[in-house]
Amino acid sequence: MPKYTSMAYGSWEEMIFGTAKHPVSIGFGPVELGKKHVHPQIVPHPRPGSEATKEKILKEYQRMTEDALSHCAALGFPSIVIEFEHIYQMTSQPEWAAAIFTQAKAQMKGYYEKYGLKSALISTVADLRKPDMVNMRKCQEIDWMLATFDSTAANGADVLSIETMGGKEVFDYAIQRNDMKGIIFGIGVLSSIDMAWLWPQIVATAKKHGITPGGDTDCARGNTAMFMAGGYTATDVPHTVAALARGCSAARSLVAYESGATGPTKDCAYEDPIIKAITGVPITMEGVASACAHAELQSNLVAAVVDLWSNEAVEYHDMFGGSSVEVFTEILGYNVAQMNAAIELGYAKELQAINIASDKYRDVHGFMLSPDNSYEIGKAIVANADSYYLRAKAAVLKTAELIAGDKKMLLSDFEKDALTKARADVEALPDNEGDFIDMCLSEYSKVPGFDPTSYGF
Amino acid sequence: MLKTVNDLTNFDPIFIRYDIKIAPKKRAAADVSTDPALQAIAKGVVEGDEDMVADASKAAIASKGPQVVIDTLILGMAEVSKLWDDGVYYLPQVILSSDALMVGLNMAEEALGSAVVKKGTVVMHCAHGDIHDIGKNVAAALIRANGYKVIDLGSDVPEETVVKAAKDNKADLVTGTALMTTTMSAFHRVAEGLTKEGIDIPVVASGGAVSEEWVTSWDRGVYATFAKQGPEMAADAAAGMSWEDMRAKWNLVL
Repeated sequence: MPKYTSMAYGSWEEMIFGTAKHPVSIGFGPVELGKKHVHPQIVPHPRPGSEATKEKILKEYQRMTEDALSHCAALGFPSIVIEFEHIYQMTSQPEWAAAIFTQAKAQMKGYYEKYGLKSALISTVADLRKPDMVNMRKCQEIDWMLATFDSTAANGADVLSIETMGGKEVFDYAIQRNDMKGIIFGIGVLSSIDMAWLWPQIVATAKKHGITPGGDTDCARGNTAMFMAGGYTATDVPHTVAALARGCSAARSLVAYESGATGPTKDCAYEDPIIKAITGVPITMEGVASACAHAELQSNLVAAVVDLWSNEAVEYHDMFGGSSVEVFTEILGYNVAQMNAAIELGYAKELQAINIASDKYRDVHGFMLSPDNSYEIGKAIVANADSYYLRAKAAVLKTAELIAGDKKMLLSDFEKDALTKARADVEALPDNEGDFIDMCLSEYSKVPGFDPTSYGF
Repeated sequence: MLKTVNDLTNFDPIFIRYDIKIAPKKRAAADVSTDPALQAIAKGVVEGDEDMVADASKAAIASKGPQVVIDTLILGMAEVSKLWDDGVYYLPQVILSSDALMVGLNMAEEALGSAVVKKGTVVMHCAHGDIHDIGKNVAAALIRANGYKVIDLGSDVPEETVVKAAKDNKADLVTGTALMTTTMSAFHRVAEGLTKEGIDIPVVASGGAVSEEWVTSWDRGVYATFAKQGPEMAADAAAGMSWEDMRAKWNLVL
């Protein structure tokens, strides 16, 4: 059941990039997250075909890792975090993952010993459980995942993270239909319950190997909503509905930290400014340097309270400036150099103000992540700590209230209508978690493959 | 005193809200029939109201027969497509309309005693090892709502299953979606499997990490950017367009 009942910070103004209430140290150096410094995080992704054999994939990862490390040395970057978001073939074959992590860690050790380059390695295991195809708690996929957490923790990973899939079957059905009830049930209830079941196991594995349990982001749902909403010209999902879904994401992702995760958080669904406001853990965000993976409407603003600055994921290719890993390591390195220069000069608040001004009113996605609004959404979450459902509902309603209440946050007529309807739909939901769950278990039995026993019902 | 976003009143030098500038004007859906009984069916489709469609279809099947109900359902869905094209509707409204359409269609087909002749058959799947299927599901709903038979094989589908489904169902088109670059390799193997079986149809591939450059690097591959393109691509394939011609129409190959 929920634990957080208060905020880590007294006000949003206390929150700043590079500093976290509860810093975390990882890897060679160590890399100190949240201690008045922002670090870059490169996420390289192998090319199609490289997964064909263990030898090929090892070579691919060897080259990508070398490119990241050598570019840091060439350009004078003090630190680098490398995240491997597992491909299917890594998580399903723990011995492949172990070999890849062993190899990368040895390379990082070499650069630390030769140059003093601080570095850390994150293992983000792929959640291969598709909720409408397997029982989330009893399937081959969960066995693979747990084995791979262990194999990578034993072979060089400094941090364990994941993007869990619970509730995606109901969420996918709901987001295609502007169905806020299903969105809250999928994200706020089902995904939270799944995390509360899985995360203690991840934390135990991390503790067993003396490494850090990182975090879990709502990629499968919150980022899906944002991705589908797209830019100004898209007509797939209303941006307001997607923003409300992402308010819900914050309530859900807290479960990892309530289970013992310490950060760095996992980026992707952009809920982490709210997580930082509540927990004080160092957060990972992706912004302008994640243009290699997707477009977004808040690329500068999301740096406002970041501690670990990521590029989401970049496929390994040649570019004019070198390999894509070299190019994006360079972009990230200079991004954080600017942030760290601001910290050292005492201009951090000025840079934060600039980044907020860039995107706060560009779209509702950035608006809700502006630190002032993130803080208010966080307060709504901790004030409703009686159940996963109630805090998710509170996050959604607070997000809606903030959007509707700020005259500078312009909305098209269509978006106004979508927000008004969504808000009314949520306000009409039951006040009691049991009633809500009973209602949803009945209604979403129509979603193909939805198995309540996956969530302990 | 630190200036902040609160001190700004004009954001045009920073960004321009094109979504506000070009926001389409609201318009009501056009009627598709002067017959109130049939218009009620179309209205149910346009509003995505399954109950309205069910009630109106039941009455109209009894009084006018199932074929006219089917024709009206299709006209209603065509109006939904226009509203989407005009920017008045968003995808969720189209999906709800599609759900409502299927309610009426199933009732009419039951009364007819047979399935409506479909415009063509599309076998759809998410790549072996990949479970990110929301794009495939959206495309399937749109293609189905446009009168095609969809064989939805789901996610994490082995290549041989896709080839067998295409063969067994005499498919006009196979589609595959993937989010991860290292799973999309399966599409190439699906295309090769079709060739070995002598099935000369296009393989449309799409998804987050799938690129036009890669899809057009192997025979049969045609790249799709958006789920919305699905119905027209299905129409091309059902009309007998070759994969080479489809590729020429939809893709840019340097």
